[in-house]
Amino acid sequence: MWRAKSTKESISAGFLLAVLLLLSGSAAECYPEYQAFIEKRSGKTVDCAVCHVNANGPVGRESGQIGSLSQKQLAQLNAARAAIEPEMLKEDNPILNRLGNSIIRTIGKKKFLEHRQDPEKLAELLGNKSDLDNDGIPDSQEYLDGTDALNSSHGEPFKLFLVNLNRYKYHLALAALAVFILDWGFAHLIQGFYLQSKMGKAGNHE
Amino acid sequence: MKAGQSVFATVSNFLSERFPVEHMNFQHMVEKKDVPVHNMSWGYYTGGLTLFFLMVQVVTGLFLLFYYQPTVSDAHLSVEFINKHVAGGALIRNMHTWSASCMIFFAMLHLLTSFAMKAFEKPRELTWIFGVLLLFLTFTFGFTGYLLPWNQIAVNATKVGLQSVEAVGEYLPGALSQLPHILRETFQGEASVGQSTLGRFYALHVVLLPLALLGLISLHLLSVQLHGMSRGVDQPTKKSERFFPFFIFKDLSLWSIVFLLLLILAWCIPFDSFLPYPLLAPYNALGSTPAGIKPEWYFYFLYYPLEMLPFWLILLATGLAVLVLIFTPWIFKGTSRKTLGLITVLASLYLVVMTVFGEQIYHMVKP
Repeated sequence: MWRAKSTKESISAGFLLAVLLLLSGSAAECYPEYQAFIEKRSGKTVDCAVCHVNANGPVGRESGQIGSLSQKQLAQLNAARAAIEPEMLKEDNPILNRLGNSIIRTIGKKKFLEHRQDPEKLAELLGNKSDLDNDGIPDSQEYLDGTDALNSSHGEPFKLFLVNLNRYKYHLALAALAVFILDWGFAHLIQGFYLQSKMGKAGNHE
Repeated sequence: MKAGQSVFATVSNFLSERFPVEHMNFQHMVEKKDVPVHNMSWGYYTGGLTLFFLMVQVVTGLFLLFYYQPTVSDAHLSVEFINKHVAGGALIRNMHTWSASCMIFFAMLHLLTSFAMKAFEKPRELTWIFGVLLLFLTFTFGFTGYLLPWNQIAVNATKVGLQSVEAVGEYLPGALSQLPHILRETFQGEASVGQSTLGRFYALHVVLLPLALLGLISLHLLSVQLHGMSRGVDQPTKKSERFFPFFIFKDLSLWSIVFLLLLILAWCIPFDSFLPYPLLAPYNALGSTPAGIKPEWYFYFLYYPLEMLPFWLILLATGLAVLVLIFTPWIFKGTSRKTLGLITVLASLYLVVMTVFGEQIYHMVKP
């Protein structure tokens, strides 16, 4: 009996410890599997700022790191840590940036942790709807491209080109019209000078 | 120098041949100026395009001056402010960065075509030398402007650049060996790249270099107008067109098209998107140097060989190249245009390969 109770207790204690380790671990690490995947796939250097407020990750005393959080923010952090499913998340995690929080809100922490060994799946789970920086490239695509999903001036150059070309087509058409009218005007002005100088010479000869 | 002729008279004769003041009138410089028509005629437009991009640089640079703050605490923030909050700010900044690259590209192309067309022939030696100095000045503009956004790549690349300048001292004899160190101290202004460096680079970029450029470009253009267009080919062509108004028409139309292309590029592709974003983060003096620090693309032809080969070898090759460029009018005086064309093709090939494939070659050589 004693032995049975002890086993039950140890299982509970072990489970509790495992959960605590998982939660504390998830708060302190920035999951290098995702970072390594992005770098390998895109060929670009990325840092913890993909998802975290601070580019050096969550541990430390700099802005956006755990050591710099106020009591209120720490409570917020603990609440976010405990929320395994998206519906359990009440407030944003203060050590994550907008993309980090958006990922957790969309797929939940549990799924995020489950896909650590298959980081490519994350893009699929995120879908194509969210575009936090409104640059026309979905966050999931920016994640795969290794570009800044929170900066509208940063994205895969050719994709940005196509998006912006479509977005600014009327601006560009008007600019083209203005430039050609200006060119036409200058050409006629120069022609006018040329003719005037020719006429002046002809007048002198007479 | 002829016997009995004083040095002053020789210099005076040399200069009067290079700057014939009797040609300094509207009739000679504009109305009677002809542009030869042949299969290399496109080369005559490269100088104009360089000038056009310089004008874009000046105008957009003046706009940026209204908002840019040259202090280490505010430089990056002010650039972000320009990009995100100033109406048309991102467009102006992108036009400035894109046209800087275009200006350097066309300045190099202009030098190469002028070389292939033997445009340095007597009496155009000084035109050539002013052109070479203008190209060096343009590179200095690029180097000083790169630091101004005060982000990770800007500061770290400048550090590497200044360290390379100092390293030259090891290979110089006697008192000359101190010169690179003095130069570095002068431009850096303090123990490490910091506020003094930013202030000095800013002063160089917006005041000193533009003044030097204005002087040199005036001399270069004056000399081009005084001597007219160079022949460009071995056999004198029978066909030519009037500079005024026909060549100017074409030049203006080309400028219009190029301006539109620049506008499309600046509107649609932010220049920063070519860099990994950790390198665009504000410079952190306490943080570690991020991976991927390298100079702008127009320095790759020098940067990748520096990474792969011994420093002394690159220094020697660069020193020789600079001397050859400056003394080209005398070194290649008797060389045929065919040979010059071949040298140009080889030099262009080297520049293109190092710029486009430099990184791959580097990874192959040093895996």
